Amino acid sequence: MKKIGLFKFLLIIFLANIVESFFAPYLIKAFISFPITFLAYSLTIYNSSKNINPFAPLMIGFFVDLISDTPFGLNALLFCLMSYTINSYSNTFKLFSYIQICIFFSASAVFYVGFKYLFINLENFSYLVLLVSFIFNTFLFMFIAMVKNYFPSMSINYYE
Amino acid sequence: MSRVAPTSGSKLLYLLCICISGLFIYMDLNYKSFEGIKHTYKSFVVSSNYFLKLVTVDLVTDLHQMTKQKSQLIAENKKLKLELDNSYLDNFIISNDSKFFADDQSIQNFLNLNKITKTFHLAKIDYFDAEQFLCCSKHRFFIETFNPHDLDFLDSPVINKTGILGQIINTKSIYEVLLLTDTSHVMPIFSGNNFCNARGSGNPGLIKCTFNSLIWEGSVEIGQEFFSSGMGGVYPKGVLIGEVSDIREIEENIFEFDINLKANPLDSNVVGVIENL
Repeated sequence: MKKIGLFKFLLIIFLANIVESFFAPYLIKAFISFPITFLAYSLTIYNSSKNINPFAPLMIGFFVDLISDTPFGLNALLFCLMSYTINSYSNTFKLFSYIQICIFFSASAVFYVGFKYLFINLENFSYLVLLVSFIFNTFLFMFIAMVKNYFPSMSINYYE
Repeated sequence: MSRVAPTSGSKLLYLLCICISGLFIYMDLNYKSFEGIKHTYKSFVVSSNYFLKLVTVDLVTDLHQMTKQKSQLIAENKKLKLELDNSYLDNFIISNDSKFFADDQSIQNFLNLNKITKTFHLAKIDYFDAEQFLCCSKHRFFIETFNPHDLDFLDSPVINKTGILGQIINTKSIYEVLLLTDTSHVMPIFSGNNFCNARGSGNPGLIKCTFNSLIWEGSVEIGQEFFSSGMGGVYPKGVLIGEVSDIREIEENIFEFDINLKANPLDSNVVGVIENL
C-alpha cells in the first residue's frame, strides 16, 4: 500500500473505529486497550511513499473525534504528533529490525491510550492496563510480522 | 524511493496544527463548544440507522412476507390478533397511543412503592453507548418520549422499575440523560441523620461519597442503605438509591465509601420520565 485516496482512507478509519467499538468492551475485561483506529492510521502513514500534509492528520483527527465521541482536538493532536514522528524517522525505520518497529508502534499505541485516558477517563486511569496493552500489542505485532514473512506464499515469484 | 524529512516550514505547520488541536481540546473541555455538532452527528446516526433498517431489513421482511401463501398469512394474522388481544388484557395499554408495546405498569408500581404522586411519561431508549458505559467515565443515553404534548423535561428525573437512573440534561433534539454513575453527576443522599453528595464513579452501578468522621454521627457500615434526600430539587425524596459496598480512609478522619446502586439502566429499554418536581 503505497498510495491511498482520501475517501478510502476515511472509510478505513471509520470501519476501524466500528471494529474498535465492538472489541473494546471485551478486551478491557482483560485489561487490554487496543486502539485499532490509531494503529490503522499510523500503519497507513508508515506505508505511504510520500510525506503527508500536516493539515491532513488534523482533519482526520477531528473526524475521528466526531465519530468516537471524544473531546474535539484530542485525536487530532495525537495524529499530528504521530505523523510528525513517522515522517521524521521514515528513513531511520529502514535500519530498524521488525522487533524494534513492533516495539515502536506498541509504545506509540500505549502512549495514545494513556494520553486519551488522561482526558476522558482520569477516574479509572490504570498503569496495569497500559502495561498489559503494551505486552499484548508487541506480541500481536510480532505475530503479524512473522505471519507476513514466514507464512507460505500463495503466489510464485519469478525473479528469485 | 526514500521520503524526505520534514522541512522547517513543514515543522512549523505541524506546530501550528498541534496548537490548534490543543486550543480545540481546551474549548471543548471548558466551554463545551462542540456539543451541538456532536449532538447533530448522533441524531444523524440514529436517524440513519432507522432509515437503513426501514429500507433494508424491513423491506426484505416485507418481501418475505409477501411470498408466503395466502392461507398461511390468514392463519398468522389470526394468531397475531389473538396474541394482540392477550397483550391488551395483560398490559392494560391504551391502543390509540404510540406507546403500544411499552409496559408502564412496572414503573407505576415503583412510583406507588415510593409514594411518588407525580405524573410520569413513558420513553424509549434510542441510543445507549454501552461501550462508554462499561469502560469510561461518560455515562449517558438518549431517549425519546411518547409524550404528545410539548412539555419541558429539562432536569426531569428518569426512572425504570429498578429505581432512579439519572436526569435529563439536554432537550434540544433528542433527550440526553445523565446517569448517576457519570463522573460529572452529583446527587444529595442521606441515611439517618447523615447527608452527603454522592458523585458518579465512572464504573457501572457504583457511586462514591466522602464524609468526615468528626462531623458525622455514628459510622457507615457495609450494607447500610442510602436514600435520595431531595435537596437538589431534581429527584424525589426518600427513594432507595443503594447499599454501601466498600469503605476506605483516604485521609485522617476523611472516609470514602462506595454505594452499589439498586437501579440498572441495562434492565429495560423502556423508562419513565417524571415531570419536573
